[in-house]
Amino acid sequence: MTILVADDDPVIRKLFESRLAKEGYEVTVAADGSEAAELLELSPFDVVITDLVMPGEIGGIELLNFAKEKNDEIEVIVITAHSSVDTAVDAMKKGAVDYLEKPVNFDELFLRLEKIAEVKALMKSAGDLREAMDVTESSAALTIQDLEITNSRLGQLLDNLERILGDSGQDEIQRIEQALQLLESR
Amino acid sequence: MLKISPEEIKLITKYIYDISGISLDESKKYLLETRLNTIAEDQGCSSYQDFVRKAKADATKGIERKIIDAISTNETLFFRDTGPFELLQHKIFPELIDARTTKTPGLKTQLKIWSAASSTGQELYSVAIVLQELLGNLSKYAIKLLGTDISDAAVAQASSGKYNKFEIERGLARDKLSKYFTLAGQTWKVNDQIRAMANFRKLNLMQPFLGLGKFDIVLCRNVAIYFTLEDRKKLFNKIADILEPDGYLIIGSTESLTGICPRFIPKRHLRSIFYQLK
Repeated sequence: MTILVADDDPVIRKLFESRLAKEGYEVTVAADGSEAAELLELSPFDVVITDLVMPGEIGGIELLNFAKEKNDEIEVIVITAHSSVDTAVDAMKKGAVDYLEKPVNFDELFLRLEKIAEVKALMKSAGDLREAMDVTESSAALTIQDLEITNSRLGQLLDNLERILGDSGQDEIQRIEQALQLLESR
Repeated sequence: MLKISPEEIKLITKYIYDISGISLDESKKYLLETRLNTIAEDQGCSSYQDFVRKAKADATKGIERKIIDAISTNETLFFRDTGPFELLQHKIFPELIDARTTKTPGLKTQLKIWSAASSTGQELYSVAIVLQELLGNLSKYAIKLLGTDISDAAVAQASSGKYNKFEIERGLARDKLSKYFTLAGQTWKVNDQIRAMANFRKLNLMQPFLGLGKFDIVLCRNVAIYFTLEDRKKLFNKIADILEPDGYLIIGSTESLTGICPRFIPKRHLRSIFYQLK
């Protein structure tokens, strides 16, 4: 999974970078919301971890909105001070997947990330299955259409043959000739 | 999870058949368990035998309704399988409107369309969107769209016209979404103008079709597959009875009427099939 971390504190940024990389995640860091938004413009990330309070025009909530607007599948985890849990709840209403309180407990963060990876994998396999089903369904539909039309034509042909052969107004040779004509014109 | 015993499977599938016409065999044990478990536990049942007994004894039919909601919930989405909607847009609607306008010159052109297993409404709203796109100003038309389903919960959701992002995203193009739906919080709601075109109510397709009148178009897609062959025959016979002589029937893309109803003949248009009365 690719992760973008936005935090204005260089020490915390460094900490995120090394801990996440050690866990095997591809990490990119941004010093504020504007830089993070620029990075999101350039490449897609699976997860954005952002501090709620950052200097500049783009704070955590604005970055959340920006990421979700860009691609709804980007999961956003917000980091908040204990005193501003209400803001974090507000962020979740706006589409954040989770929030963590400062100081960040990395074991907790790793657990959340694993859950996100699991959900993403499930969504992908559901998508793959759906696609496979669509392909099977459309191919089956074409076969069934052909059979349905052919069957209906043959049914009508049989009805007509029955009508011709049963027509007592004509002699047998005439009936057979007409029946053969009908079969040939099929 | 409460397990269905081998002795109970017949009991429960028979009960479901009786209340809904849905025919499930013993291989669907797991599906039944996953769909019914919560209701059975809420009722404090110790076994499925107990569960069926409670459901039958419930005079309010509340348990029966919950079972139907749980069993009948199936995959549905906006513009599921583009074929039928292209068929409606390019072939059926133009032909029908032409025929009906000539029939009643000077009057509003009437069209009656029925989605026989409307589920949560996506199919019927898709039809309404196609009509709106095709006809523009609908004031010259008297269009009646009826959606019926056996599940109260599905009918209620269809009537509300509200969908979550998972229900809305698949199948619906961005331009149609922003044109015909409004986002309120996490919920997309179909706009009043489209909502007002459609009516939804509960109907069990096994019962007689009383008071429905005649229809110009019937959509009966992907529901008969859950019925026995005998019940399918009865169903399509009843549909033939309530279809206008020049009306159209659309069934699911992998369904067939061969050996089911000889009153219909299949016709092909591009990559889709529709049926008309002989």
